[in-house]
Amino acid sequence: MTGELGAETLRTYEEINEKIKRGDAIVLTADEFVELAKSKGVKEAAKEVDVVTTGTFGAMCSSGAFLNFGHADPPMKLQQCWLNDVPAYGSLAAVDVYLGATAVSETKGIEYGGGHVIEDLVSRKEIELRGEGIPTDCYPRSYIETTITIDDLNQAILLNPRNAYQRYVAATNSSDRVLHTYLGTLLPHYGNVSFSGSGQLSPLQKDPLFQTIGVGTRIFLGGGTGYIIGEGTQHCPQNGFATLMVKGDLKEMSPRYLRGATIHRYGATLYVGLGIPIPIINEKVAETAAVSDEEIFTEVVDYSVPSRDRPIVTKVTYAELKSGKVFLGGKTVPTSPMSSIKMAKEVASMLKKWIEEGTFLLSRPVEPLPRFREFKPMPLKKYEPRVRDVMTREVYTATIDTEIREVAKLIVKHGIDHVPIVDDQGRLVGIVTSWDIAKAVAENAKSLEEVMTRRVIVAYESESVDVVATRLTRHKISGAPVVDSAGRVIGVITTDDLAKLVRRGA
Amino acid sequence: MVKLKLIYDPESASKPILSQVVLKTGVAINILEARTEPTAGELVVDVPTTGEKLREVVSAFREHGVIVKEIMYAVELDRDRCIACGACISPCPTQAISFDENWDVVIDDSKCVRCGLCATICPVKALRAV
Repeated sequence: MTGELGAETLRTYEEINEKIKRGDAIVLTADEFVELAKSKGVKEAAKEVDVVTTGTFGAMCSSGAFLNFGHADPPMKLQQCWLNDVPAYGSLAAVDVYLGATAVSETKGIEYGGGHVIEDLVSRKEIELRGEGIPTDCYPRSYIETTITIDDLNQAILLNPRNAYQRYVAATNSSDRVLHTYLGTLLPHYGNVSFSGSGQLSPLQKDPLFQTIGVGTRIFLGGGTGYIIGEGTQHCPQNGFATLMVKGDLKEMSPRYLRGATIHRYGATLYVGLGIPIPIINEKVAETAAVSDEEIFTEVVDYSVPSRDRPIVTKVTYAELKSGKVFLGGKTVPTSPMSSIKMAKEVASMLKKWIEEGTFLLSRPVEPLPRFREFKPMPLKKYEPRVRDVMTREVYTATIDTEIREVAKLIVKHGIDHVPIVDDQGRLVGIVTSWDIAKAVAENAKSLEEVMTRRVIVAYESESVDVVATRLTRHKISGAPVVDSAGRVIGVITTDDLAKLVRRGA
Repeated sequence: MVKLKLIYDPESASKPILSQVVLKTGVAINILEARTEPTAGELVVDVPTTGEKLREVVSAFREHGVIVKEIMYAVELDRDRCIACGACISPCPTQAISFDENWDVVIDDSKCVRCGLCATICPVKALRAV
């Protein structure tokens, strides 16, 4: 690295820590450092500042805690364990469990989950513990019920496999129904954009080349001290999606920075406050630490497409996202985050305070994080049926002027329940079912227009049967027309078609 | 439709004032919330009228010594619970919610249409539809 421009050492970790101990280290939050670099230039800012503190406060589902309860008398091996009715993973040694943030209460559902238990633990509330196990000579007990607090535990260790995404895609919704996603509620017809991540405050955004961030970096975690223990799962730094695996002593953390939460119609999770100090060891680090919201891009993705590969609608900066409005699909659309920018700022300020007060020293990583990791999809090696495999291709349609009587005849003659209504190009404009026709007779309707459904739930032939079955159930309907990309009707898929599939499978 | 908060003093707390006002004005007042303590009481009511008739209802309560306040807000924000994530902001159909300069969540009561979506989706239950 010697000789590389900007890589000359400005200050060592040892020099920085000496200054911290003396109480004269110059520490700026990332927001403050960005401003300083804008006014004085990066070179000058790098000379003046020893440490830049970062922060993020978002819903981090890949979080959880290892808990060790100690042994009861007579002892037991906890094979299954519940904390306030939330299941914890017990397939470890006798009294070790892992409580995941997204596990949900067996009595309250997603309203109370692992994240809430973690918040209640750090709030020092009493937690109901229930356990079941198979009695053995070593562990004769088969059932246990008691209450615990975090202070009763030998260890309570927050260990999060994937935290602090460098950035995240923003979400929007082109469909005509409201979506409830892990990125929040998305209104129809591009009604809003929801995003996550703190942009120029984001820890991994400030040292994306991992010159100072690595295994062993001491960090702010949940209001206490934690450590980076490696790359996070799905770490993909070459695309700007670096992640971290972190751990820390839960007993020292605070419920202000660890909050259980419920994402409506999605699930339970944990909001985690996390901050990393970036030592300005050279100008190259200063350059990335000075990157501003205007320079950090992310993609706005259409979450109405029920597929892994969701289409990108546009690209925006965090400055635009934080402004509250973006331009999308020919109109101005309101934006808002799912992660708290206020709390991210507070994390960065708190970490700055700790360093200024001399209670938090920096650590030199023992190994940098990898700069490249392939992000692979899950291979599907078993055949999964698609709509095209089970749909009925002999489809009987009507047009808007067809007599109700004629449609009734069609239904009787072919033994069908669904008649799509099409225009002269064969494009779907509505649907009538045998029930609609019965209603037409009962109400003495004159034309199909009076009884047909215009907002038709459709299926596409490349879609997985599983997804379409869920759609039919959600809308409480027994069938849907299958349309091509031009909206032309090419078949119908009904619950009868799905039933055939089960028989075929058997 | 107007929401009113009625504050009863110790003397009037035990009298059937609401019934008397309903009988006098003929307005079907709906009780949304009631809180009674030994010495005082507080009611939140829905008054399905406007204009002159509403003024009549308000003055009828006042004649009985009841303090009447119009409730302008439809949602209550518990600042101790709120983490200022902003999940309620962009989904608000009338854009009544925004961040202030400190990135705290603020609600513009005049824009709110009381749909309750924000209270439903709040991840930490900091919002409550009133």
